[in-house]
Amino acid sequence: MVPATVEPAATAGRHRPSAAGWGLRGVVWAALAYLVLVFPLGRPATTVILYTTAVCYGIVALSLNVLLGYVGQISLGHQAFVGVGAFTSAYVVTEQGQSFWVGVLAAAAIGGGQALVLGGVSLRVRGLYFALITLSYGLVAQDNIFQIERLTGGGAGQPAPKPQGFETEWRYYYLCVGFLAVVLYLDWRMMRSKSGRALLALRENPRVAATFGINVRLATLFAFVVSGVFAGLGGALIAHNDTFVSPDPWNFNLALVFVIMTVVGGLRSRPGLVIGGAFFALLPYLIEQIPGFDSLLEAIPAPRDLSPLIAPLVIGPLLLIVNLIRFPGGIGQQLRPITRWLAGHRFDLHDRGLKEVQITDVRA
Amino acid sequence: MGGLFSERRSLLIGIGATVALVVFLIVVGEEKSLVIGLTQGSAYGMVALGLALIYKSSGVFNFAQGEFGTVALYVLYLLDIKGNYWLAIIGALAAAGLMGFATERLVVRPLFEAPRVILLVATAGVALLAIGVELWFADAQAKPVAKAFSRNDRITVFDVQITDQRLWLIVTLAALAVLLGLFFTRTNLGLAIIGASQEPTATELVGISVRRLSSFTWVLAAVLGGLAAVIAIPDLGSFGPGAMTSNYLIPAFTAAVLGGMTSLPGAFVGGVLIGIIQSVATSAPLFQDGGELAIPGVPSTLIVFVVLLVVLVARPQGLLGKRA
Repeated sequence: MVPATVEPAATAGRHRPSAAGWGLRGVVWAALAYLVLVFPLGRPATTVILYTTAVCYGIVALSLNVLLGYVGQISLGHQAFVGVGAFTSAYVVTEQGQSFWVGVLAAAAIGGGQALVLGGVSLRVRGLYFALITLSYGLVAQDNIFQIERLTGGGAGQPAPKPQGFETEWRYYYLCVGFLAVVLYLDWRMMRSKSGRALLALRENPRVAATFGINVRLATLFAFVVSGVFAGLGGALIAHNDTFVSPDPWNFNLALVFVIMTVVGGLRSRPGLVIGGAFFALLPYLIEQIPGFDSLLEAIPAPRDLSPLIAPLVIGPLLLIVNLIRFPGGIGQQLRPITRWLAGHRFDLHDRGLKEVQITDVRA
Repeated sequence: MGGLFSERRSLLIGIGATVALVVFLIVVGEEKSLVIGLTQGSAYGMVALGLALIYKSSGVFNFAQGEFGTVALYVLYLLDIKGNYWLAIIGALAAAGLMGFATERLVVRPLFEAPRVILLVATAGVALLAIGVELWFADAQAKPVAKAFSRNDRITVFDVQITDQRLWLIVTLAALAVLLGLFFTRTNLGLAIIGASQEPTATELVGISVRRLSSFTWVLAAVLGGLAAVIAIPDLGSFGPGAMTSNYLIPAFTAAVLGGMTSLPGAFVGGVLIGIIQSVATSAPLFQDGGELAIPGVPSTLIVFVVLLVVLVARPQGLLGKRA
């Protein structure tokens, strides 16, 4: 009954690509590695900061996916977890004079801790009501927690210097890519473990999972805490990337953007989630960069031009709605033939992994 | 199992609790907070009414409910400069209704079979889209909004002046309570909506189009959301993008949950209760500046969160509801 992700190829005799096949795959892998690792080296510092934000958003998307994708609970207050992580690390480094590594650890611990407390109290309710509680908690973070002047440095914000040895934007970018790799690895290990399979089982059907001896409440709480740890980590990295945290950006709109990028990226698809997070982080920049896009936006008959800053708030929700109605599996599902091929399977354009990736099995 | 009849007993309990609270507050000398809370709570109640209406008929937590109101406010702002205030109000309500209709047709209906959490995400997307378009077409600057009635000192209760605008809010809310109550118990359309929410298949079998009813309910809820905005916000003087979502949506959801989510009278009573709790607790020493343990920031957000948490953990079916 446990829907372990059995590879279809494993049952039907494993496909062995030819030498040329491996060569072609190697070229694509190398191109990807070039794009992620070498390409940013030649870019100006201000652009590299954006790339780093994209990497951090990837971590946030993975964090939200643990909750939304694996156990089917939704958090509409994730900006609180990310924001508290950002402020914790900034506070520990600036006010307590600790190192960056202590700050990141503290942010992850506080992120997990607040998920433990909030989840421990509120996970008696699930689905819509849990969403409501997280949303309300997000507003509390915005209106109360981020108003604590000792934590946030008042309206002026809290400085968060880049760590020693990673002072340049490029070095810090590689550090964040490293953290993303660690989060991806942890996420992968977790889903291959017994508790990971338990999470998937309880998303499919909590009652059936309970009869198999899975403690539904405890497993959901576990996922919530893991999600909180990842979110705190992502927040800390965002803080030190901007070298400065102010209370303003952590609002309800950001929480919705987090949810949107996770769903558009594709639940339970690690490549999709990273791409989704990066896409939404880079959207204002992409609009400026893609030739002709700017004039296209200006051609829309509206009282004012759609500025690249506001465009994500208009384009994001449209993508989300189209996504939910037409492509419930998100970017990850569309990319699946390519990711499967890269992993050494046969190229199959119709391999959408529909049995595995279906957002519609998130239950109320 | 008439939707409203079976709630009559629990409604009586709710009203009894409210009256007891009112008497208690007057005895301990908090009557000022009581009046302020009542007026503020009426606005919550009105937004909560739309939420309960949609949840009752289609089981959706409608996160776009607040933005129906903000869109109405923008239309009111645009039309009011050019012409008659009352015509502008009608235009604003029409715009809200149109947005409700479009949301139902373009977003809710294609996802009819989807789990409710997905619909929640979708309506939240509609809300964010509306906020984005507001930022795009207007800007982040607050816009002034005209009052229907400008006199402020006609009535004074317990040393608190109730503006005519507030009075209009309370009277409209009370009138709506009665009208909607009659609508859902006395008219065919109202009974059909109740029927469709309880037994969609059986309702289809007796020849009623559940989908058309769904459109109607969304338009009705959106108009209610618009009405709440154009009556309640003028007292604040101005509004910005996402005004109704950031200020009213969560208190209204808490009010609806307090009322049991499906009960329309419960939504009213819940809204008024939240308003009173907020205004009493805000004046508590815990939130006063300068105190040793003062809680920073906006007290009302924290209070709403605590109320929501307590209600959902202790009594998930709400104070007045049968089950959640």
